[in-house]
Amino acid sequence: MTTALIGFAILLFLIVVIRIPIAFSMGIVGFFGFAAVQGLTFENFADFNWKPALSMASKRIVDTAQEYSLSVIPLFILMGNLVTKSGLSQELYRASYAFLGHKKGGLSMATVVACGGFSAICGSSLATSATMAKVAMPPMRKYGYADSLATASIAAGGTLGILIPPSVILVIYGLLTETSIRELFAAGFIPGFLGIFLYLMAVKYVVWRNPEAGPCGEKFTWSERLQALNGVWGVLILFTIVMGGIYLGIFTPTEAAGIGAGGAFVIALARKSLSFGSLFDILTDTARTSAMLFSVLIGALIFSNFINRAGLPDELLTFVTGLDVSPMMVIFVILLVYIVLGMVFESLSMLLLTVPIFFPLVQSLGFDLVWFGIVVVVVTEISLITPPVGMNVFVLSAVLRDIKASTIFKGVTPFWCADILRLILITLIAQISLFLPELLYR
Amino acid sequence: ETVLRVGSWLPPTHPQNAVVWPTWSKWVEEATEGRVKVKVEYGLGHPKTMFDLVEDGAIDASFSYHGYVPGRFKLTQGIEQPLLGVNAEAASVAHWRVHNKYFAKAEEHDGVELLALFTHGPGQIHMAEPIKSLADLKSKKIRLGGGVQGELGKRMGVTAVGAPAPKVYEMMQQGVIDGVFIPMSEQKSLRLKEVAKNVVHLPGGMYLGSFAMFINPDFLDGLSQKDRDAVMAVSGEKLSAMAGKAWDQGDREGVEAAKADGVNIIEVGADDSFAKEFRELVEGMDEEWIESVKSRKVDAKAALAEMREIARNYGK
Amino acid sequence: MAFSAWLSAHYEEKGPIKWLAFALELVAALTLFFLMILTCADVVGRYFFGNSVDGATELTEIGIAVLVFAEMPVVTWRGGHVVVDILDRMWGNVALKALGLLSALLMSGSLYYLGVRIYQLAERSLRREEVTELLELPVGYIVQYIAVMSWLTAALMISYGVYRLFTEERS
Ligand code: NA
Ligand code: NA
Repeated sequence: MTTALIGFAILLFLIVVIRIPIAFSMGIVGFFGFAAVQGLTFENFADFNWKPALSMASKRIVDTAQEYSLSVIPLFILMGNLVTKSGLSQELYRASYAFLGHKKGGLSMATVVACGGFSAICGSSLATSATMAKVAMPPMRKYGYADSLATASIAAGGTLGILIPPSVILVIYGLLTETSIRELFAAGFIPGFLGIFLYLMAVKYVVWRNPEAGPCGEKFTWSERLQALNGVWGVLILFTIVMGGIYLGIFTPTEAAGIGAGGAFVIALARKSLSFGSLFDILTDTARTSAMLFSVLIGALIFSNFINRAGLPDELLTFVTGLDVSPMMVIFVILLVYIVLGMVFESLSMLLLTVPIFFPLVQSLGFDLVWFGIVVVVVTEISLITPPVGMNVFVLSAVLRDIKASTIFKGVTPFWCADILRLILITLIAQISLFLPELLYR
Repeated sequence: ETVLRVGSWLPPTHPQNAVVWPTWSKWVEEATEGRVKVKVEYGLGHPKTMFDLVEDGAIDASFSYHGYVPGRFKLTQGIEQPLLGVNAEAASVAHWRVHNKYFAKAEEHDGVELLALFTHGPGQIHMAEPIKSLADLKSKKIRLGGGVQGELGKRMGVTAVGAPAPKVYEMMQQGVIDGVFIPMSEQKSLRLKEVAKNVVHLPGGMYLGSFAMFINPDFLDGLSQKDRDAVMAVSGEKLSAMAGKAWDQGDREGVEAAKADGVNIIEVGADDSFAKEFRELVEGMDEEWIESVKSRKVDAKAALAEMREIARNYGK
Repeated sequence: MAFSAWLSAHYEEKGPIKWLAFALELVAALTLFFLMILTCADVVGRYFFGNSVDGATELTEIGIAVLVFAEMPVVTWRGGHVVVDILDRMWGNVALKALGLLSALLMSGSLYYLGVRIYQLAERSLRREEVTELLELPVGYIVQYIAVMSWLTAALMISYGVYRLFTEERS
């Protein structure tokens, strides 16, 4: 436990004080931490056997860079960039603006809803945030929204991606625990919509406190609104192709990224909004963002190898099992552990490390594993926007180069509170998750 | 006291993690009188990476599927050849014995020390919609794993779809694939019983899948002679047989789970049309395999014959 | 002439580095475009013609590695990796440059040493004739590429990246 905690402390120091890029901080601490657990000390530095640690880190680099399921990252970002370039996003937002713009914070609300919609087609939170950042940020800026509110609604909205099916994370949870995946998918719906609703409340709260953050626009007449709708057919077609293709079984969510990008490319061509030069810009911009994201993922995985080896997961289990409290208290302690871990972990590595440890305990306490899956996913979502290592926040600051992570973290606080409220509701009222699976399958 | 770190990768509930590793670790602890303790770790990466992680000492021992590293492991496909007609336990024992007698000198496992060789249970056909003959599989979208499945798929004329096993559920549910070739245990552990409601259960299955359990040689050297011998004494054929048996049990549980969930399992008899069709389909596959391992300079023909003899007479 | 003007407008880098940046990004861009086309062709082939692209998964995997590591040197020397900047206001300009230099050293150092190990792993893989499942492409070559690109990133970061760090104005 001590080794892992020292590792955390050093990591935070490197990231926050020394301002070494996150990817490299995690990689370096993970590497030396792993070596330390293997017996590295200051005395044996010169003749230490570095091979195990070097191979561990090297294999993470080589394997992650060739991970098929990660192809969604460059391809969905490419789709977002193409959609933006062809002017579709502006039109989508003009329409949202026509309907919601006269309300305070209306575009932020539109963003949250759009993220929810995009989540439904995309299995990955990172891809959702990166795509929506490209689509939603320019219009919100144009209409004078504060950067903190605008980016926070994207970062928070992006976390909806892992709860609304199809969800990569739920599938992995189902396989780790042998829980019915279709029940998990069904269980995710209501908590997902609850999330959207609470985020909308969070936007309302922010603009109530500070009306400047999301200024009201003019009110449109109904005929103007319908006219604005004319422009969104392109997005609707793309959405229908991607969504429909997945639900009809024509392609997988992973492939949907490529299809979505291809579809956006065709639309952009049809609208004559592409030249060789601008296509090159879009492709290279996407490649740069992807390289950054892959670096962060690789760093996170190397770091998680160290934490795992340092025995943190096991000691947590010992700690939780040793508590002499009611079953529900055990669950709350586990959730607290998740929130603390979430401050430094990337969601997938956190899930892989913790679920195998906790689920037998939870099962033996008599809880429903479908319900626990949803609780775990919600708490993992929270980790995506929890400082100091909220992966969604970093994605945004990587995609929007001129916005600081600190600005986003500041804006995200009300959304984080909304998430905590939802977590408490879902934990205490199991029916929120279990109603649909019981209705459909049990 | 020495800690032997085992890197594992299937779900914790899978027989490999729920039965095989715990049983072996009990054996090891008993044999070394508690001086060597086994500890299982998860989340280390892709299964194929386990070979490298063990070789370079990042973990002490692990297991992997040979089909994930094509090109390096060719001889291990011998045991996977169709029509062996036995369960995993019998096949695993034959796998281990024949490897040591014929294949070990080809050094395909160069860099790691083998603890055991085993196979999963017979691979069967799991479909969303029922089929009446193997010819119905033509142009169907089938997820194929590594090993000999590629050749089977080619001969059947299926549209091959590549994907890691954990993706199969999602792809079946969405209809991206029409079916999958995989052992019966996956009806339970991959939850195929929800999405692949039609199984053609061939006697002895279509193929087997070859696995290895292995350990870092330097780790073994670091043990006392006594403990090293103790660890190896509870490995080898004993461990291979135990692993095969556990995976067979997984298959039985898969069948039960599938039946409980109303999966339509066609039990094919040895003389049924499905079985005849299959025998014709795979004609000559073993000779092709013998041809493909020529560069390994081993007597593959004799090895295959002996493998079949050991496996088919096992337990008799 | 027009191309050279376009290049200068797009790449702030100087001299040969400008051309290198362009070449690397061209590889990344073409690969990304290829990945998009490949997925579409695979899906269309499988759904409408009952015949998917052989080895599409393998090609995608290789494509991601090519894409990410072609872009890695450019992203790194431009200081494009994600940093937490909460304390930036506290540091003076000199301190920030010093920290930047420290980062550059650590990044280059770690990429160099990992590159060595990755290259050794690649050689081992080639020696053992490891190939991909369907297309039987040697796995080691793409691993060698990753190693070489790690070295290139390290070399450019410690030279051009540091030069940029000290010459560019704080924004
Ligand atoms: Na989703
Ligand atoms: Na986090």
